[in-house]
Amino acid sequence: MSLKSLDPRVTRLNLPEEVLIIEPKQELDQFETYEAFHQKKEGAAYTYVGPVHAPNEDVAFLFAKEQYSRRFACVGIWVARTEHIQVTPYTNDGENVYDMMRVEEPAGRSEQPEAYEIFHLKKRGKAHAHAGRVMATSYQEALQEARKQYGEKGPIVNVWVVKSKHVLQSAEEDKDMWTTIPEKKYREAIAYRVMDKITKYKEENQTTAQ
Amino acid sequence: MYGGGNVFEATKFDDLQTEDPAKLAEFEARIARGEKIEPNDWMPQLYRKQLIRMIEQHAHSEIIGALPEGTWITRAPGFRRKMAQMAKVQDEVGHAQLLYSAAETLGKTREQMLTDLINGKSKYSNVFNYPAFTWADSNIISWLIDAGAIVNQMANAKGSYGPYSRALERICAEEAFHLKYGHDAVVHMATGSPKQREMIQAALNRWWPPIMTFFGPSDKMSTHTETLMRWKVKMASNDECRQQFLDMYVPKIWELGLTVPDPNLKKNMETGQWEYTEPDWDEFKRVINGDGPCNAERLAVRRTAEERGAWVRRALLNPKAKYVKPLA
Repeated sequence: MSLKSLDPRVTRLNLPEEVLIIEPKQELDQFETYEAFHQKKEGAAYTYVGPVHAPNEDVAFLFAKEQYSRRFACVGIWVARTEHIQVTPYTNDGENVYDMMRVEEPAGRSEQPEAYEIFHLKKRGKAHAHAGRVMATSYQEALQEARKQYGEKGPIVNVWVVKSKHVLQSAEEDKDMWTTIPEKKYREAIAYRVMDKITKYKEENQTTAQ
Repeated sequence: MYGGGNVFEATKFDDLQTEDPAKLAEFEARIARGEKIEPNDWMPQLYRKQLIRMIEQHAHSEIIGALPEGTWITRAPGFRRKMAQMAKVQDEVGHAQLLYSAAETLGKTREQMLTDLINGKSKYSNVFNYPAFTWADSNIISWLIDAGAIVNQMANAKGSYGPYSRALERICAEEAFHLKYGHDAVVHMATGSPKQREMIQAALNRWWPPIMTFFGPSDKMSTHTETLMRWKVKMASNDECRQQFLDMYVPKIWELGLTVPDPNLKKNMETGQWEYTEPDWDEFKRVINGDGPCNAERLAVRRTAEERGAWVRRALLNPKAKYVKPLA
């Protein structure tokens, strides 16, 4: 016997009635992780919004756009593979991690300085925000540069460092992709006004809340 | 939407004696100061286990909860309602993604969580094991199940784990539309034709018993529960959430001239507490353990979706890919 559902489309799948046990999913069945950052409005710092799972950078970008810009104002998205982001230790709230950590000697340096993006977390539980870009020949040097340029204004409880070439950034000429068409107001709470109907109903039928 | 009614069972990690006392003291002091815990911090095994369990169940509830409403997209009356229903279902699936990632930061992979869901090892909110017979059932889910979810999520958003709080903040903002959308749909039916009123009342009658179990049985006040409350894992008792829900929504049901199918439901003006017929917890246990009207269908649909997408995922997988858990 196959499964009968109230939904005819489910019934047509001819699924077995008994519960089947599956083999444990293979590692990476759900792909690698990427971290996504969004820009809420022009000029605002890019801020961490959360991870996505994706098979490559381009798909990660599309997933991040769908996941994190679908419902709220957004004018830009960056994604970077989690693996490419270097993380400092976390301090207590109110402290500055730049004052407390020992920057180690880099294992290797690039011949030419390259660009690194620096993200700061100001308070635990909040989101990392883009502090700026520095030029360096290693992650360690990038951290030292970041400390000089952006590290004075504490508290900073944690820093993320990632090479700019590892960040896929939405392009200026694609700005129109963030324009939400006004016909999607049905996704906003404000589009639903029920009080008039309720008031009219109560007047006509003398119902009360108690 | 949310899988309320977490039953916090004792685990073998209950014994805090095995934890490093200095680290435990530092951890507790951080929470007492109102600071959030972030993924790389030291944390007791009990904290990690309970959070994984709770966030994972929440994620499963979002993804399974999208099924009863999802089946109504094609049959929703009118284009605008189809669009809105579709947007809501998409939100719920998106919430599952956010929550799976939050649980992953604690060390359980998405692959393990999906395997445990499909094999019935992990639970999801029991209400989704009940069928949505009519469009009115879908409306009651959109309004009252989401309302219950919001009560729960608003409390949990103030919890101590950073990644879960961040995900919940986003989820709560998106849920605001669901609640209004659901209320609007119910009001439309309740103030409509006699047939529409009859449909919405019948759906309410069907859904009331599961709704009353949504927040779970009364918590046994044990050392275990006290520890989880001190650590801000559990933010409110199941009964507190249920009382808050009744306070907020029973008047809104009554003002529409609808009745709640419980002759004992009333607010005791002296205690300020709602009194009600005790929900059937034996049925709750039976259904959550697999013997409900829709358990098999929900899991079969989820399993089939996973199986049918498997070849696409295999084809796209980069052979050099390496798993790293999400950062925050």
